[in-house]
Amino acid sequence: MTEEKKKRRTATEAAAKIGPMVKAMIASVLQARDEGKPIAYTFICCCYDEIIRAMDIVPHWVENYAGICGAKRDAQRFLERAESESFSRSLCTYALCGLGFDAWREGLGEMPPDAPWGGQARPDMMLGSGQILCDPRNKWYQAAQQYMPDVPVYNVGLPWPPYENDYDYREVQDYYVEYIVEELKGLVAFLEKHTGKKMDWNRLSELVDLTDRTWNLIWETYELRRAVPCPMGTGDAMNTMVPIVFMMATQQAYDFFKELNEELRHKIANKEGEIPDEKYRLIWGGGLPSWFALTDFNYFNSKGAVFPVETTYRMVEAVYNFDVDLSKISDPLEHIAWRWLKYWTYWYDKARKRPGSHPDVERLIQYIEDYKIDGVVMHEAFSCRTWHVGLIWQLNRLKKIYRDIPSLILESDIVDISSYNEADTRARIDAFIDTLEAVKSKER
Amino acid sequence: MKSQYFAGVDIGSTMTKVVIMNLAMLASVIGPTGPEHRKLANKVMEEALAQANLPFDGITYVVATGYGRINVPFADKQITEISCHARGVSYLLPEARTVIDIGGQDCKGIKLDNGRAVDFVMNDKCAAGTGRFLEVTAEGLGVKLEDMGRLSLEAKSKVEIGSTCTVFAAQEVVARLSEGVPLPDIIAGLHDAIAARIYSMVRRLAIEREVALTGGGAKNIGLVKALEAKLGFPVLLPPEPLLTGAIGAALLGKDIVKQAAESGTPLPKRERRLQEATLFT
Repeated sequence: MTEEKKKRRTATEAAAKIGPMVKAMIASVLQARDEGKPIAYTFICCCYDEIIRAMDIVPHWVENYAGICGAKRDAQRFLERAESESFSRSLCTYALCGLGFDAWREGLGEMPPDAPWGGQARPDMMLGSGQILCDPRNKWYQAAQQYMPDVPVYNVGLPWPPYENDYDYREVQDYYVEYIVEELKGLVAFLEKHTGKKMDWNRLSELVDLTDRTWNLIWETYELRRAVPCPMGTGDAMNTMVPIVFMMATQQAYDFFKELNEELRHKIANKEGEIPDEKYRLIWGGGLPSWFALTDFNYFNSKGAVFPVETTYRMVEAVYNFDVDLSKISDPLEHIAWRWLKYWTYWYDKARKRPGSHPDVERLIQYIEDYKIDGVVMHEAFSCRTWHVGLIWQLNRLKKIYRDIPSLILESDIVDISSYNEADTRARIDAFIDTLEAVKSKER
Repeated sequence: MKSQYFAGVDIGSTMTKVVIMNLAMLASVIGPTGPEHRKLANKVMEEALAQANLPFDGITYVVATGYGRINVPFADKQITEISCHARGVSYLLPEARTVIDIGGQDCKGIKLDNGRAVDFVMNDKCAAGTGRFLEVTAEGLGVKLEDMGRLSLEAKSKVEIGSTCTVFAAQEVVARLSEGVPLPDIIAGLHDAIAARIYSMVRRLAIEREVALTGGGAKNIGLVKALEAKLGFPVLLPPEPLLTGAIGAALLGKDIVKQAAESGTPLPKRERRLQEATLFT
């Protein structure tokens, strides 16, 4: 096992606490296994966090665990194990890492030797998320059943209306909500069957309310990063995504962002930026990060560049900005469905107002203006097809309908370190900084 | 006023290039970087100094660039090859708006605006589209690298090389040879394959005319022709395509000195030592 050589420097104290929080989260799943509590494999942005929390099911976030293996630079052996099971290396490397781990653990009957942070616990169920985010979200567990045929899978269908520039999705939104509610009811029935426990609907309503409040708080906290100098960058946000996507519907997530909010306000009041001499403000405009190379954010910092905003993992909006009043929707499943639908369609109206735009591009434009952005950085992770396909298109569209903003595409992977070359990556960053300077000096 | 001299040192993955300039170029030396030579960039510098008949401390400012620029103890400053190529091409070919640099182990596209790089693309992950592709395939064909361009012009019927992967293309070449395909037809096919790869990468920049071609690849007439066919118009070639980065480095050094003098700020200089470059520590 190889530990990450260099520790990434965080700007905020809150972000520095995330490592121990994740370690504790993994340990709690292993403890739950020992105590016989029900464990479910789950995916980020699953939409049904409140449901599994209300049912006292302990979630194990498989993407998170693969990311941990990547960050600890210890994913290769699991990827190789998956390859030896005849999976292609060009598949999602989160899935490959997880499948390799599961194949190894199930073959041994115990955790693989020196498994990062104790390992990925055997689940009692696997909850897929058959939505239009990416194919592993419903195929991964199907494949995992080869090693765990006794572990049931439930795929929740969670659609949202595709964007059309000449069509208002509201005409069909009620059908979508109805469908999602039925899917969620099916999930509740599945969980009740496999745990032998009934859903506590009052508790679910409380957690739905807690989630709404957490979404609002996260949005308000991240908006503080508009400040110049920027008090917190994307490097930190790759830590603070943990409470957003792995701890939603918990008081811990809410409290974390309350603390971060206070810390950022304090920094802003003291004009304390992430770096002392902020020269360039960048947006992480898409793509999952290379978990083994987060120190690249520090490298950007060393060149005077900060990232006040990112689209990756900012998977919340302030619910009070939606065009439906969620507080009036008392049925918790319906409430979840509307929140889901309104999140994914949030930028549709804005996009329709700008010829040639698209919701993802409109979001970039809004952030570029709100956060006073000089350049766009994206990451093409070769194994993440979902992000990969759209990134270049978004960038080209942005430049066409908005302005020819400097951009950098980094190329590597989320987990597979063999795709990464530090010297080349940093040479690209150096060159990008040169182009930013050239453009800035032209504007002066 | 004492004459000022500026040196540009471009340590590429394959070749090390040094130029010394004042109002014009006084000296230029091109030597191999190679595994044994890479620590000897100072020797290339010494050769250039001898050519210009100058002592090392007679050089006002030294800028290092290229893949190996990081730890050059005899440079005052390091500047990326993107900026240096942009400056060098703008000086040599002012009408150029796009640069395509085909190096030994990478390939770059640079968009120019007023002599500066405002956008770029790089291929540094894969040998396809770089000089290495041609080196490997030339070896497979038993042909000298420098003869590839000339031979390809004799092609009667170019073969299509399906693979853009260097390893697979080398295998494909052997297969074509065994089928009795004439050498020029194979080489011309290889040039088409590499040109297609380069063109698809550089297109991301929204190519603007004029296009300048630099690096070792620009010395291969077959590749130049294949790229021109892809672009649909002729490209510009500097007098010595290998030297544009080093010339740009020297000119940027000159700009830095001028800017410091005009603004009255101290010159950003290091204590220089004409010693081996340690490259990446």
